[in-house]
Amino acid sequence: MVRSTVISPTKANTLFWLGRYEERVYLTLHQLRKCYDKMIDGAPEDYQTFWSKLDAMGMYQTNDEFTLGMMYDKTYPCSVIAAQTKAMDNAILLREDIMSESLSYIEMSVALMNECKEKSEKNVICLQPIIDWSLAFWGAAEQYLQNHNALNIMMTGRNIENLDMQVRFGYSYERVQLAFDSLKRYRQQKHDFFDTEVVGELESMLKKELFDINNIAYKNRLLTSINKLAKV
Amino acid sequence: MNIGIKDLTDSRDTVNKWLSRYGVRFGVYKNNTFNEQLFPFDSVPRIISKSDWDYLEKGLCQRVEALNKFLWDIYHEKNIIKDGIVPEEFVYSSKGYTPECEGISPMGGVYAHIAGIDLVEGKDNKWYVLEDNLRIPSGASYPMIARQITRRVSPSTFAAYAVAENRDYADLLRQMMDDMNDGRGIAVILTPGRYNSAYFEHSYLAEKVGATLAYPGDLTVENNNVYYTGIGQERTRVGCIYRRVSDEYLDPLVFEASSLLGIPNVMQAYKAGNVALINAIGNGVADDKGIYYFVPKMVEYYLGEKPILQNAPTYLPYFKDDYNYVLSNISKLVIKDVSEAGGYGVVFGKDLSEEKLTELKNLIIEQPRRWIAQEVIDFKDLEILEGDELVWRKADLRAFVVSGKETKVWRSGLTRFSRNPTSFVVNSSQGGGFKDTWVMEE
Repeated sequence: MVRSTVISPTKANTLFWLGRYEERVYLTLHQLRKCYDKMIDGAPEDYQTFWSKLDAMGMYQTNDEFTLGMMYDKTYPCSVIAAQTKAMDNAILLREDIMSESLSYIEMSVALMNECKEKSEKNVICLQPIIDWSLAFWGAAEQYLQNHNALNIMMTGRNIENLDMQVRFGYSYERVQLAFDSLKRYRQQKHDFFDTEVVGELESMLKKELFDINNIAYKNRLLTSINKLAKV
Repeated sequence: MNIGIKDLTDSRDTVNKWLSRYGVRFGVYKNNTFNEQLFPFDSVPRIISKSDWDYLEKGLCQRVEALNKFLWDIYHEKNIIKDGIVPEEFVYSSKGYTPECEGISPMGGVYAHIAGIDLVEGKDNKWYVLEDNLRIPSGASYPMIARQITRRVSPSTFAAYAVAENRDYADLLRQMMDDMNDGRGIAVILTPGRYNSAYFEHSYLAEKVGATLAYPGDLTVENNNVYYTGIGQERTRVGCIYRRVSDEYLDPLVFEASSLLGIPNVMQAYKAGNVALINAIGNGVADDKGIYYFVPKMVEYYLGEKPILQNAPTYLPYFKDDYNYVLSNISKLVIKDVSEAGGYGVVFGKDLSEEKLTELKNLIIEQPRRWIAQEVIDFKDLEILEGDELVWRKADLRAFVVSGKETKVWRSGLTRFSRNPTSFVVNSSQGGGFKDTWVMEE
């Protein structure tokens, strides 16, 4: 018996969003570590810019509320736990593609997240295994996901999320351009689900002389294009 | 207890952690809410000797062969009814009898490709069949993955004992699906979706067998052929569907019209012989609790052999003598509603108040066909670990028989146990756990 290489539209959607959410877990934790570091000895003006980039302004009143909320508030879509849960919701539908070995890293992450939430662990260091498992997941998925097209779709999701976060956090032109180039590697000859028009829009916006990440309107235009890049 | 088994008991928590790591769960709907639970694993296996297994294997093959012949007969010539072996009202009033299957001939005459036969071992050392599950029997994946993990965690135990391999269930399934597919297209496992109680099993078997896991909406029928549709309208033909969707939801154009879980027109493709359905539609008529009574008679009728496996002593209130016996002895019998499954609709007379017994008697008087009664078999308890203590609990065995071009019994099975010391009900949906089943090679 040979497994079919045909990918249903539902599966394509699931692969894409697994890629996005799992990368979001990783990158949110990365940003939170930086933010929590500033909160140790900084004044609010030093770290509230992070809050705003994470769309957390107005959500939480104190540093403690922010710390716990960003990690464990399931009702807050930008929290780590919300992204991890969504990653799991997608991964569980893909066991036969990514294999139990890859899925197990996400299972363990969800279990650890819930355990830390239960204990109200405030130190983000307790979630370090999730970062390790996230990297292990990508390695395992690349190893086990034998359908090249399926892997491309998942990696497209991952790289779109990476590009989105880089723009959101105001990374340099060189970094953003690199992320965009990296993403374009996953365009496919067959079943290209990148929107060609949007690729063109982004290419015209991502020019060194035009790049103005501190300009809200420009940044929003970039984010809008990035988020309609894939036709899923 | 010998050292090998002690190794296993010591490793129980480790094994359960690994099961959790691999997401070994089952879903339960309670109060309209879906919850996923870990299926508690007990590391002390059920051990079946080679001689017991040889006996069981022969008996199981014989029983499933007879059941397959019965299904063919019921949907074709109906000789067993004409010859007065099974009363026609038991067939035609069965909820599982499916008139739409009349005259359809599945490949090789196989209806029950995967049969889950529930057995218990009595204190008299005899095995009794409690139930035949011929529609969508589930549970094989649990001992399969548990074995994989326990071998990793306690290698010395498995080095010391000659335990028959059980991780070959996927090979049995794959071979059978290939036999039925006959090169027509791809093989899929059709799942109702993540919120099905056995979703773990669907996805795990798809992974291990190498089949595509299909969801409602992924499959379409055109010109009596089934297709799996991909992005960009790419299509591939499907030759075999191991469906984990019940008959009544499988084709909304033939059965339940409101079903969103099925494949419109799949019956047409099936009738045309263009797709194999595993298991076949209409099998419910043979695993009906009322028909169960007649299975030993089927063995004699179709195979001309004495049945190797025994049923639990069973009474059908439909027959006058049994009716009188049941009403006079109801307090010592177990009464089963033939229309229920999964441990539901089973009551022990000894547990009922006088008032409830009278109510039940009245129900039997009103609808004798709806009930069967069985003697309570004093079946052997098995040791399970509760905390750090070994205690004895009731347990059954679900054996899996896979029929393609050949009929083979999987050399393992799902041993389910009750966690309640006074209960005989072992179903996972009722809070039970599971064990691995070791069939010894020597």
